[in-house]
Amino acid sequence: MSGVPGIPSAAEPLLTVDDLLWFLYLYPLRVLSAIGPRSLLYSIGRLSRFRARKRVDMAVRRMLNAPCAGIPRDQIPQIAGQMLANSAVRMLDDLIISWPSFPRKLHCSEIQGLEHLERGRSAGKGVILLTVHFCATRVAKRHLATIGYPILTVRDQFSRGDWWGQLGRRVLAPRRLNFLRAIIGESVCTRERGCALKILGRLRSGGLVNTHFDGESGTRTTPWPFLGAPRHFSTGIFDLIRLSGCAVVPMLCLGRSSAFRIIFCPVLDIVQAPGRDEFIQANLPAFVETIEQQIVDHPEEWEQWMSI
Amino acid sequence: MARIRKVFVESLHLNVRDEELPYEQMLEGAVILDSIAVLEFVTAVEKEFGITMEPKFLEVEFDFLRDLSVLGSYIERRIETHPSAESRGAPE
Repeated sequence: MSGVPGIPSAAEPLLTVDDLLWFLYLYPLRVLSAIGPRSLLYSIGRLSRFRARKRVDMAVRRMLNAPCAGIPRDQIPQIAGQMLANSAVRMLDDLIISWPSFPRKLHCSEIQGLEHLERGRSAGKGVILLTVHFCATRVAKRHLATIGYPILTVRDQFSRGDWWGQLGRRVLAPRRLNFLRAIIGESVCTRERGCALKILGRLRSGGLVNTHFDGESGTRTTPWPFLGAPRHFSTGIFDLIRLSGCAVVPMLCLGRSSAFRIIFCPVLDIVQAPGRDEFIQANLPAFVETIEQQIVDHPEEWEQWMSI
Repeated sequence: MARIRKVFVESLHLNVRDEELPYEQMLEGAVILDSIAVLEFVTAVEKEFGITMEPKFLEVEFDFLRDLSVLGSYIERRIETHPSAESRGAPE
């Protein structure tokens, strides 16, 4: 973003193409998501592929650079295209869950492994649901909340966006922030000073907390190989697990709002260790392995290919 | 109060003598650094005084940590609620 917030710089355009697209997304498309059929919404979403060529190419390059993901080379372009299509659908599903009437529009076809979640909850110390940035995770979490499993989401700070012209920055950027807050549901930002205490409080009351373990936020991180490349993982989650004694249940969400599946995996075995660093080193590999496997099994669902 | 300050300095591994800076100033510095530091402090206080802070309190009341006297009063109330807690020297 150029210039001081609120003060347009001379070089700043009144309106950019991205501003216009955000306007269409936040206003007419959002209204359409409430009154129109989902199929029409998804049809319009397919138009996004005309602007996605560069992103597909980038995703292809990243997949090629991650041979350990085991994706056959000849299938990579197809999977990258599918991933971008799924990502577009996810954006449209976000519109659907931005309305109060969203519960009746979410169709969960299956929940597997609920016994694992209940086993994790049985100790009364709360459960961290371990996920990665899959397209269906958000709709799945909102659905779980409506059937009696409210989840506190740990999120990073919202980016302000750097594509705004003067109009976009003044009108669309605040609107977008409100929209993001609405679709995420109950959440806590890692930058909030009381973040860790809020999470601890939720866990102590036996509640559910979700974090995307493939994120790179956090002030304390540690490096570890991930999909064949070095990556820094936030260690805050390990502090929370060590100090709260909560259970950790990997969760997998697949599909789209019209038909999605939720899969709870067995509770992860937590290795106890005498010190903080030892605890991290003892448990980090299994956590990374778990999420890598989710991505390898469903590469077309993972929205973070461009970030590795 | 001195006991809480001692726990604070020890749990956060601060490199200052505990009398050098006001508690509130040190806390603000630690919180800006990261919220996990506060978590370390809270759990160390619980261990020291043998109490467990209430979940609802942790979720909504960060400010109770900012004032040493408020935190002290809260700890006293928790000990009174569970009189055997401090003697156990471990969370309930």
